Amino acid sequence: MPKIETAEQVKRFQEHCKSALDRFPIVVSLCNGTACCAMGAKELAAAFEKELAGDESVKFIKSGCHGFCEVGPLVVVRPLDVVYQRVKPDDVPEIVDRSLRHNEVIDRLLYRFGDGGKVFAKEGEIPFYSNQSKVVLALNSLIDPYSIDDYLAYGGYSALARALEMTPDAVLKEITDANLRGRGGGGFDAGRKWNSCRTAAGERRHIVCNADEGDPGAFMDESILEGNPHSVIEGMVIGAWAIGGDDGFIYIRNEYPRALKAFGNALKQAREYGFLGENILSSGLDFDIKVSRGGGAFVCGESSALFRSLEGEVGEPRAKYVHSVERGYRDEPTNLNNVETWANVPHIINRGAEWFRSTGTKDSPGTKVFSLVGKVENTGLIEVPMGITLREIIFDIGGGIKGGKNFKAVQTGGPSGGCLPASSLDLPVDFDVLTRAGSMMGSGGMIVMDEETCVVDVAKYFTDFLIEESCGKCLPCREGLMHMSGILHRITEGKGKPEDLRRLVKLGDAVAAASLCGLGVSAPNPVLSSIRYFEDEYLAHINEHRCPGSVCSALISYHIDPAMCTGCGTCEKVCPVDAIKPVPDEERKDGLLREIDADVCEKCSACKEVCPEEAIVVESPAVTTEHYRENVTEMR
Amino acid sequence: MEETSVKMLKLTIDGIETEAREGETILQVAERLMIDIPTLCHWKFVKPYGACRICTVEIEVHGKTRMVPSCSYKVRDGMVVKTRSEEVIKHRKMLLELMLARHSQVEVVRKLAHEYGVDTTRFEEMPSEQCINCGLCVRVCDEVVGANALTFVKRGTERYVSTPFEGEAESCIACGACAYVCPTGHITVQDIRDRKYVFSELALGPTTPIHIPFAAAIPGIPVIDSHTCIHMQTGGCGICSKVCEPDAIDYEMQDTFEEMEVGSIILATGYKTFDPKRAEQYGYGRLDNVITSLEFEHMSHASGPTGGAFVKADGSEPKSVAILHCIGSRDKNYNEYCSRVCCMYSLKIAHLIREKVPDADIYELYIDMRCPGSGYEEFYNRLLEEGVHFIRGKGVEVSQMPTLATTTPVASNSKLYVKCEDTLLGMPRELPVDMVILSVGLEPAADAEEVARVFKISSKADGFFMEKHPKLAPIDTLSDGIFIAGCAQGPKDIPDSVAQGAAAAAAAMSLIDAGEVALEPITSVVDEEVCTGCKTCLVVCPYGAISFDEEKHVSVINDALCKACGCCVAACPSGAITQRGFDDTQIEAELAALLM
Repeated sequence: MPKIETAEQVKRFQEHCKSALDRFPIVVSLCNGTACCAMGAKELAAAFEKELAGDESVKFIKSGCHGFCEVGPLVVVRPLDVVYQRVKPDDVPEIVDRSLRHNEVIDRLLYRFGDGGKVFAKEGEIPFYSNQSKVVLALNSLIDPYSIDDYLAYGGYSALARALEMTPDAVLKEITDANLRGRGGGGFDAGRKWNSCRTAAGERRHIVCNADEGDPGAFMDESILEGNPHSVIEGMVIGAWAIGGDDGFIYIRNEYPRALKAFGNALKQAREYGFLGENILSSGLDFDIKVSRGGGAFVCGESSALFRSLEGEVGEPRAKYVHSVERGYRDEPTNLNNVETWANVPHIINRGAEWFRSTGTKDSPGTKVFSLVGKVENTGLIEVPMGITLREIIFDIGGGIKGGKNFKAVQTGGPSGGCLPASSLDLPVDFDVLTRAGSMMGSGGMIVMDEETCVVDVAKYFTDFLIEESCGKCLPCREGLMHMSGILHRITEGKGKPEDLRRLVKLGDAVAAASLCGLGVSAPNPVLSSIRYFEDEYLAHINEHRCPGSVCSALISYHIDPAMCTGCGTCEKVCPVDAIKPVPDEERKDGLLREIDADVCEKCSACKEVCPEEAIVVESPAVTTEHYRENVTEMR
Repeated sequence: MEETSVKMLKLTIDGIETEAREGETILQVAERLMIDIPTLCHWKFVKPYGACRICTVEIEVHGKTRMVPSCSYKVRDGMVVKTRSEEVIKHRKMLLELMLARHSQVEVVRKLAHEYGVDTTRFEEMPSEQCINCGLCVRVCDEVVGANALTFVKRGTERYVSTPFEGEAESCIACGACAYVCPTGHITVQDIRDRKYVFSELALGPTTPIHIPFAAAIPGIPVIDSHTCIHMQTGGCGICSKVCEPDAIDYEMQDTFEEMEVGSIILATGYKTFDPKRAEQYGYGRLDNVITSLEFEHMSHASGPTGGAFVKADGSEPKSVAILHCIGSRDKNYNEYCSRVCCMYSLKIAHLIREKVPDADIYELYIDMRCPGSGYEEFYNRLLEEGVHFIRGKGVEVSQMPTLATTTPVASNSKLYVKCEDTLLGMPRELPVDMVILSVGLEPAADAEEVARVFKISSKADGFFMEKHPKLAPIDTLSDGIFIAGCAQGPKDIPDSVAQGAAAAAAAMSLIDAGEVALEPITSVVDEEVCTGCKTCLVVCPYGAISFDEEKHVSVINDALCKACGCCVAACPSGAITQRGFDDTQIEAELAALLM
């Protein structure tokens, strides 16, 4: 295929692609995101391909993540505009037959909210989707991420064509006016960063995309790279034009093989079409992007560590008193933005800064992608306008807490973020508000916790994660976190001391104030924020040896409620340590059939998960089997 | 980049208003103001690292306060710095307490913590680790030496310093810079080379590439040994030029040749010692505790490798020492002559050992004691009184195992056995000792032959320069104006060398004083018309009296040097050289007169 050389040709080719797409009267879009793949999307795709073989009227798309991971695998049929959820390969012939050939809606595959609740057919009607406003993720369910033609059909690369007709100054002004803030976590003004890079002294300028998404429970960048890789490429080329970039890099963690594959393919196509390479669209811009694979170190998401890693050195941060935008990769001016930030750029150029600022809040305009996970009914990938409240995200989009339990806390900003309580639910989500509340926006991980979560345990988990990931260069992060973790472990084991809380806070303050890089500075956040909002839980652990979430194994004991137990013996079968035994006949009273020997019990919770009668109860503080037996009535 | 004038910034540190150049760090400015900020990972010749965070200070810019590490934070205009605010002290204390938990036995940490009133830690103590992960060694090896032989391994709490792939670092040049910068003594030179007490290190030579040649050198200026200088060998380091404030280090400087026109030359080119490796029976170079007399001198010197301590290769103190005389001297296998100085210096060595190790058994194994000098015999008598054992008989062999059936082996695996024939007792003996010192003799300097050739003087059979007459002209040579002095002429001690040197100087002075030289009446002369410029005469002239005029392409004879020996006359193939008053016609006339 000859290269596209002018803006005019881009336009013509877009129309060509669009008409090619329009030739298909029916489109079936199967979510091929990581979660849906895990639920069987691969087999489903095979089934569809088999069923649709030779059918020229249907375009079958294996798209990127649709977002509603909770009910995957997802299939969307257009123009019927119906969403089928939890689809199995056996359902495929029926879908093809009824929905594709006869335009019928298959009722049993539709999404229902709650037991026998309301049925939703169209994507726009499902509350999970209807409360979102998709910009960056808008094309995810519409296009095949491996097809540049699909992207072009939906107006792809028109922003690039437009930007290249503008002066770099004008492009920069547009981004600055849009007040686009970095989606990687810090929320730094992208326009200001671009300008700093453009004006910094140096021979070569580098454009880098940070796709080293390492937060546990976060998959925003992965989903963008897998679902719409061209939007990131387009954003980066526009950035190169505005900044004067000479070469580009994307740092993708090697744990994202699918993203690597999709992005690699997109790069190849973009080069073929002339959107990368020499003299892009006859503008005189020479620019290409190299893929660099990260080795899985969390700290390499930090800019200076990322550049060292990119250079082939050990990924360790350096003191950044000369900003990395001035002295980044190879100590040359480097503009680093994350995947979502780059993906926003084409939209701003296409629709203008004014449009961008019309969503979101004054200081944090635009939308933000979150991965909503944890104890929430609807887990998945969402994109919402800034300024939306946590309550709207968790209850309207997320559908509330799983199993009708009570909300306890939400962790935003990943391991470096903070734990916010119910009283913070009405806070508008933007960069500054979350920071003030003791948490942070982060790159968009959002972990919801219910009443059965122990915040001390969560703080311990994140602290241990960060100890593992700390590079160990600076003393406060290396030594301070280790001692914080030691104290947390002690508390969860019931060996906490009254002075521990004060010590944790002092230590956390010191680590935050004295650490070298962002990892250390934000590392005490989970501990400090949870102490700030859940001090009583810490005190319960320390003073009463009680875990309010019934999680910390040293502080809980498992028992069988004789009133509920039917003696089915399911628990006895799953117990890996044989702690559950039938009670001898002579000791049976009040319906007591089985008992858990607290001395043997490993507190793995296997019995609780299988008990059909919910007869397994957890007591905290831990009590002996005899004590429970004697006081069972009061304990209930 | 273009050179721009340095911008000056105003700032306040601890209430002192001051100015600083743009790009300076807070620490640099504070050092100038003599404000003490503690550091552990900072050294001004490597890039700021910011790992220990002990140098954290409080700054205020535009009304906002922040804690920043002063080692790497650049000053800004209008900045207010507090290096000892309550907040700063609080953080430093916390950091020191964290350090104490892991490094409770590290002196530098304990001392600093103590200064801040932190003597115990509230945190769980771990077994004390020596390395504080400051990274100075890694950085000095990378940035200064350029060897990259050290690196951090693993990350987080498991981080430690090691060589690449934990093996022997091939790129290590054993310069010791890492040990030098290590603030805790975790890296020591033994760790790198493990040979502090190996006697090959005693070989006479500088311990560092930069050194003052010897204690009383004139001028007393250090020199750089280009063979061991890291910069000259690898292009790295260059630390001396950074430290030297007057900017006196010049790596570009090369050795130069200076040409001088002189009327007379005194050759005092000295000697070298006999290499005892040639006499394998003594085990030198093979047995750890066999050293030469000169190595003993090096070791016993207060600035020597052991700081003046007399020790064995393993660092322990020897309790018995044998000093073997005449090594390489008075021996038909090596040198037949007596080296003249060994008896006396051997006595001195025994005396020094007696001082350092009063209870040591000291043996002197000699052929004859030769003590002909002022006070020499008296010194010998004093040694007898000091309880040194004198055994008349040359030491013949040193071994690790006894070889004589009569010897009772000593229960120690590090003993050396010295075999000798005690001529006073009339029986062979074998002495078990801890250490053997070989009193090596004197030999002509290594390049004596070359020197003799350049100056056209003769050497004796033993290689020392030959004097004009052994009794009547001991400082003159056959070449006029060239004198010899000291051991270049033959082994002699310091008083004799001084006397001969003074005599040579006087002889040279007398020539200068006279202002003219008396020429030989009969010298050779070149007929320039006939000379073909073949240069045969230049080679044959034993006195270096003939030079070559490149312009005229003829040989020229220096009348002041020519001794009229006639070698050139006989050798000249074209018959261009004749002796004044002895040309062919004159000789023929003489012959005719004789025959008639």
